[in-house]
Amino acid sequence: MTGLAFLSPDRAERGRQFEPTLASPLTRALGGDARVRDLSGLGKIEVRGDVDAIDADVQVVRISPGRALVLCAYERCAELRAVLPGTVIDMTAALAGLELTGERAMRRLTDLDLRELPAVGKVAEVPAVVLRDGERFQIFFPQEFGHYVAEVVLDTLAGIR
Amino acid sequence: MSFLLPCPNCGPRDVNEFAYAGEVTSRPRGAPSQRELASYVYFRRNVAGVQREWWYHRFGCELWFLADRDTLTNEVIRTELPQPGDATPAVEQPAVPDTPAV
Amino acid sequence: MRLPPQPNERIDRSAELTFSFEGKAVSAFAGDTIGSALYAGGRRIFSRSFKYHRPRGLLCCSGGCANCLMEVDGVPNVRVCVEPARAGAQVRAQNVRGSLERDLLSVVDKIGGPFTPVGFYYRTMIRPRRLWPYYERFLRSVAGLGRLDKHARRTNRYDVEHRHVDVLVVGGGYAGVEAARRHARAGRRVVVVDERGGDNPGSDFELVAPARAIGIYEGGLVPVDAGGILYRFRADHIVLATGTIEQPLLFPGNDLVGVVLPEAVRRLVEDWALKPGERAVVIAADDRGLDTTDVLERAGAVVVAAIDLRDAQPTRIEAKGRRGRLRSVVVGDREFACDLLVASGTPQPAYSLLAQAGARVEYDRRRGIFLPTELPANVEAVGSVAGELGSAAIPAASFDGHKGRCFVCLCEDVTEKDVKRAIAEGFDSIELAKRYTTVTMGPCQGRLCHLASIRLFAREQETGPDSIGTTTARPPWAPVSLGLLAGRGHEPAKRTSIHHRHEEAGATMMWTGAWRRPHSYGDPAAEARHVHEAVGLIDVSTLGKLLVQGPEAAPFLEMLYPNRFGDMKTGRIRYGVLETDAGRIMDDGTIGRLSDDQYYVTTTSTGADTVIEWFEWWNAVWGMDVEIVNLTGALAAVNIAGPRARELLARVTDIDVSNESIAYLDAKEALVAGVPSLLLRIGFVGELGYELHFPSPYGEYLWDTLLERGADLDIRPFGLEPQRILRLEKMHILVGQDTDSESNVLEAGMPWIAKLDKENDFVGKWALEHVRERGFREQLVGFEMDNGVVPAEGGQIVADGSAVGRVTSARLSPQLGRVIGMAWVRSDLASEDGELRLKVNGNLETARVRLKPFFDPDGERLRS
Repeated sequence: MTGLAFLSPDRAERGRQFEPTLASPLTRALGGDARVRDLSGLGKIEVRGDVDAIDADVQVVRISPGRALVLCAYERCAELRAVLPGTVIDMTAALAGLELTGERAMRRLTDLDLRELPAVGKVAEVPAVVLRDGERFQIFFPQEFGHYVAEVVLDTLAGIR
Repeated sequence: MSFLLPCPNCGPRDVNEFAYAGEVTSRPRGAPSQRELASYVYFRRNVAGVQREWWYHRFGCELWFLADRDTLTNEVIRTELPQPGDATPAVEQPAVPDTPAV
Repeated sequence: MRLPPQPNERIDRSAELTFSFEGKAVSAFAGDTIGSALYAGGRRIFSRSFKYHRPRGLLCCSGGCANCLMEVDGVPNVRVCVEPARAGAQVRAQNVRGSLERDLLSVVDKIGGPFTPVGFYYRTMIRPRRLWPYYERFLRSVAGLGRLDKHARRTNRYDVEHRHVDVLVVGGGYAGVEAARRHARAGRRVVVVDERGGDNPGSDFELVAPARAIGIYEGGLVPVDAGGILYRFRADHIVLATGTIEQPLLFPGNDLVGVVLPEAVRRLVEDWALKPGERAVVIAADDRGLDTTDVLERAGAVVVAAIDLRDAQPTRIEAKGRRGRLRSVVVGDREFACDLLVASGTPQPAYSLLAQAGARVEYDRRRGIFLPTELPANVEAVGSVAGELGSAAIPAASFDGHKGRCFVCLCEDVTEKDVKRAIAEGFDSIELAKRYTTVTMGPCQGRLCHLASIRLFAREQETGPDSIGTTTARPPWAPVSLGLLAGRGHEPAKRTSIHHRHEEAGATMMWTGAWRRPHSYGDPAAEARHVHEAVGLIDVSTLGKLLVQGPEAAPFLEMLYPNRFGDMKTGRIRYGVLETDAGRIMDDGTIGRLSDDQYYVTTTSTGADTVIEWFEWWNAVWGMDVEIVNLTGALAAVNIAGPRARELLARVTDIDVSNESIAYLDAKEALVAGVPSLLLRIGFVGELGYELHFPSPYGEYLWDTLLERGADLDIRPFGLEPQRILRLEKMHILVGQDTDSESNVLEAGMPWIAKLDKENDFVGKWALEHVRERGFREQLVGFEMDNGVVPAEGGQIVADGSAVGRVTSARLSPQLGRVIGMAWVRSDLASEDGELRLKVNGNLETARVRLKPFFDPDGERLRS
């Protein structure tokens, strides 16, 4: 099998007058709004197979019995790709992510039961992985919806009084 | 439609998180006659009562599963992940893309 | 005008505000409703009735009836009796020509009576036919309730909020709060929804108010209208404490202004410190109704008569008035001068939500009301809705009088006479009579007329209400604005990671499925020509991209596609067409072999999700040892196409880009401008071309870099429309454009794809074998117009006066200078150079059949 290097943004190389630059799909829509944190740059690695065998100091979201999403710092992607068990697919480029605060806003974005997170389900009409830390919620979703989701999130926050 | 469908993996969710793919059919083996083929491809039992059918958790875990649902009441009696080989998908006609593009 | 402060009044006398009614200022206290403030100002007529334009005043004062509908800030049909008074609100009367006191349309009441019985519009005014347009225009102008501003824009903000709770209690009265506390003590999360609101009762449960449950749907979904927010409640347990609804009595003159229900008296006095009248008569069937006597006396009114229907029922009750206002009441043989008549029959449990939840509704003969029974699991009814009621008399279906109309349904102006007439005409089932007379179909949704109409029906049919049955209870139980149901109206849009570059370059964007894509950057023909002459760049990130890997990847794909894949060399690409078992073309794309057990599959842009689900589905059935990974969003993709494409590629990568190293249909991994990429040499647009697939966050970077490094090669971006011209020149099909639900690969002119001799079975094989056996009926061919006319897509092809085919695509090719296209034609017409007759704008135009690509038929440029 090939290593599927073309999936991993961190395999880009500088030099020969090339300076590859990463961009987030949320940047324009968020416009620097401080209420929303852009998490698109985090490392996201999908593991398929025996997801219970994951033995690394990382956040793991179990999606189905044979599938999990590992969230990590961008810098750790290479290391984790090497040590994670089963089939390892770098999804860093596939998912955009953001963090917002407030259960009220979250309830307007999703029908998911916020007492039972993390979970995968519909958020703002798109498929998403949702995590919770107190009043802070992290949402990861297909990056092609990034601009749209960011707009919806800001619009939702504008409606909270 | 607002009923809850218990995904075997994610638990009960609003039915709008799922894609419905029709009743379970039985795919012929070997070389079916034209009648057998037509029956498999085009004919459905369309029962008024409990039916075994395919669902896909499109907005969640992305798993296909089977459900026994009462078509009269939308009561879902049970759901389960398929065992390989125990049923074949119905030939659902996927929607023709509204705007063709490549 | 106000009474001295009342113990539980809801007004704050220290906070005054002003709104306008019909342009005149009205003052109110905080806590007033628009209705109570208008009442305090002396207003008694609040609306004109639906059909006869009779004056109507406050009746229920609880937001149940249609007697106080007004237009508030441009929103029609607002029940002002419960609408909080807001400073600066603009309030207007509706359904009126003139003023509430002098409505020109009240002429209908005076002369129209005999001419406008129920269903009159079905049988009068239809002749002579030529006059109908005038009748219609008049009827349209007077029909309906309220006016909408056709140019209104979205003004109010509506949000939808999803709530998961353990217990939802609808109704915050005594019984509801008791039940809420009981569940809260058991450790459950409880929310109480109440129409009126009030103070939050503390920490044991959450109160959502003022808010109305508008229905109970499948799955225990309870939408709650809280003004600007629609709560979608999902509760494990639902408690309904919706109470009862006071029922009006049926007697002549029962719609006069001054005839009210007991609750109106209580609210006017206790909530807003208003005196409901000077001289009052009270007629009631239970204690709660009769208790208003005390309330009235405390407020300083004189109660001239209080009649308890439990003692004895008079045969005659009649309200008399002048100009629509009550002057006196006749009870039996006595007449009382009065300006207020409090009249109510048995209170009816408000069972509608219970019935929607699946409860049965049964008539209780003893008490003369309908009661919910057989509640579904997880639904509980408490308090008076469950039948916990004091003793009450069952009033007569209607009381006699000498004069005046007796209304069964105030909302729709349906009289007792109308119902009798409907029965006489043969509408002998309550469901049919309801649809014919529209009784219960008005804004009160049967709250005040459902029981009365059934009772009347039973008397006329000489049977009991139990054998008449009820009409079906359906949502919405409370009126709800469409804006609330629509919510924020966001439409999920997919954008490529290069999207903003297209917008910055001035591209015209278009929808393709959920994707936003550039149609062109201004001149599609020039962009297409440029690809032939120099080099073009197109964003194809929207392509579906899948990784299929595992020991059984090759057999898996061979079972899904008619093609062979096991014999492919690593690093090679093949075109594949997916079919269903019906033989129908579902999608197409390329399949590249990355290693022994890894395949990279592309799909059409709009077909990606369908194909992925299709693959997953079959894998769920077959249970093969393969992994299917959706890489669509992970990878951006661009196509560099044109004679100078290789020169450009050489500038941005270190690998050997010669034709020997990367031949047509080769796949290779490489760094491109420093970005890890998968190179696919594919020729969808008919020129030398490379598709680069790379991590999406580098989309803008790589797009910019390619344009920059190719500037001296005159590289230009091209959009979807030029791509469609280019692919048509090559006769490359577009699935869904050139194919439909009948199309198969054989008749679509791609027989080489279907390996019917393949040892394994594949999806669609049997159907293709059948097509081969039966012979071709029609075929997909190319055509070239004799002149420069571009036929419409979908246009007919005719022979001997009948249709023999249809155009699927047609474009003027700027490169060839001719109009070319593709069409399905009867198979006997599918021979090279054969003549086709196309219907274009009513004329017949001639075209010639072409079976080989219009441009570079042998693919020399692709392979160069």
